[in-house]
Amino acid sequence: MKQIIKTISHPKIFVYTVIWLMVLTVLGTIAQRDIGLYASQQKYFSSYITWLGDIIPTPGGKFTMIIILVNLMSMLFKHNIWKLRKAGIIIVHLGAVLLFIGSGVTAIFSSEGNMVIDEGAESNYVDDYHKMELAVVNTSKKNLDKYTVFDEPLLKKSNKLSHESLDFVIEIIEYYNNCKVQRRTKSSDIQYKGMMKNFDLIKLKPEKENAQNRSGIIYKIENSDSNNDGIYGLILGQSVIQTATINKQNFEFLFRKKRTYLPFSIELLDFKKVLHPGTGIAKSYSSEINLIENGIPRRVLIQMNEPLRHRGYTFFQSSFIEAPEGEATVLAAVKNYGRLFPYISSIIMAVGLLVHLVINLPRLLRKQMVGNK
Amino acid sequence: MIKQIILLFLVFFMLSCDSRNHIRIYYLPKTHTNNDRQQTKIIESQSSEFSWEKPDSWIPSQGSSMRIASFDVPFSTGMGDLSVMELSGDGGGLVANVNRWRGQIGLEPLEENEIMSQAQRGENELGPYQIFQLANDSSSDRAILAAILSMNNSTLYIKLTASNDGIKELEIDFKNFCSSIKYDTKI
Repeated sequence: MKQIIKTISHPKIFVYTVIWLMVLTVLGTIAQRDIGLYASQQKYFSSYITWLGDIIPTPGGKFTMIIILVNLMSMLFKHNIWKLRKAGIIIVHLGAVLLFIGSGVTAIFSSEGNMVIDEGAESNYVDDYHKMELAVVNTSKKNLDKYTVFDEPLLKKSNKLSHESLDFVIEIIEYYNNCKVQRRTKSSDIQYKGMMKNFDLIKLKPEKENAQNRSGIIYKIENSDSNNDGIYGLILGQSVIQTATINKQNFEFLFRKKRTYLPFSIELLDFKKVLHPGTGIAKSYSSEINLIENGIPRRVLIQMNEPLRHRGYTFFQSSFIEAPEGEATVLAAVKNYGRLFPYISSIIMAVGLLVHLVINLPRLLRKQMVGNK
Repeated sequence: MIKQIILLFLVFFMLSCDSRNHIRIYYLPKTHTNNDRQQTKIIESQSSEFSWEKPDSWIPSQGSSMRIASFDVPFSTGMGDLSVMELSGDGGGLVANVNRWRGQIGLEPLEENEIMSQAQRGENELGPYQIFQLANDSSSDRAILAAILSMNNSTLYIKLTASNDGIKELEIDFKNFCSSIKYDTKI
């Protein structure tokens, strides 16, 4: 065991992995120019394996950071480090470990998206910026709709989706990050249903700006015991809902940005926009809202640099929409459980360095004096 | 050394396990919000004179040369056809055109006052217009939703042909489309 700890806590591992992290940072920064910020982030920093040139597998940012974390933690299991003389080093290591744990918490549990609210309307959900979901809605009941939602990691080609709440199986035929709808020129023998009877989804090269990509999905419904078995298609932003009646139950299929429902709602009372004089450029904009929780409204003003913080969420004034039927505000909603980790760990590391200096200063001074003599 | 590598691999494997459940079940009351509009509208300017906003599921199609624009309009069980035409003068007249459309779906012609009593009113930047919803219960596969907008020297005809169910499903999108039509300011 001692040998294992000695090996995995070797300082060289830390040095090499930090150097590799720097290389990844440079590569990721350069790659942004060609593939965009989000794709670069996913490829170099949020992955376990990064393929260089799509040929050579190398440790991705996530894997590299896990190795650093294990290396730092194993350092604390060394017997010879638990001495008063090394208290500063222990504190610095604890701070660094906390920093990496914080980044893990942020990566796993945090979410960000936007909330679009029309003037006079109310909303209680946030749409994720990037992640998608397939929602199968059973609309047969009079007052309530039952949602069975499959998250993006499940929407992989050839994956079969099933759940006890559904009497049928959905097989993913294709999943496109970016695609377009194109009218079919030839009739097909394949049992296409809904939109796919007349249209096809054509894969496109992903755009640099992920927000410009229109994801699409082609899926097959099987074992529905009705004539609804067949191949269906959905594309992001499709205004026409795909429906099917299976075993006398009515279903709607929605392909949309991942939706998170909040335990409170926000009503937009008034949206105000101030332009720079003589231009169409916004100088400032603000949203006067009612934060409604348990039926009790609280009036709040959200404006640039003055976000609303509530129940772990932070709502920033992000943008707005102007349309013939009125204005709508766009609030960026961020939930980051690891928000405080960098602050706390930085303080701990600073204290550690200070302790290390204080403990070792007399010894250094003594050495200095002996040297002078 | 092999043991150490195995240990590292196990640590990596354990940390990379994604235990989060990717299937969620929940119930929501039946409500229809209008907050999806950010994703569903794009501004179009296909004619030399007019611009409009349409749902991005509407796909431009090849129509006759008389049409300013044509769209394939999908709905949950099929496809509708939408045309935008500008005819000089009154384009043959409101009553004559509505009765012609009625004939196309197997309905009897009506008198002007009956037709006008069925008209819904709307207004956009070009002026007021009437909307006519024509459906024949005995022939549910073909129905018409049309808007007629009189301008100074011409008349704009916007016509959507689909099934009875399709017309009902597309009614809001059609009305939003009509209300968004305006002169293209980029000229």
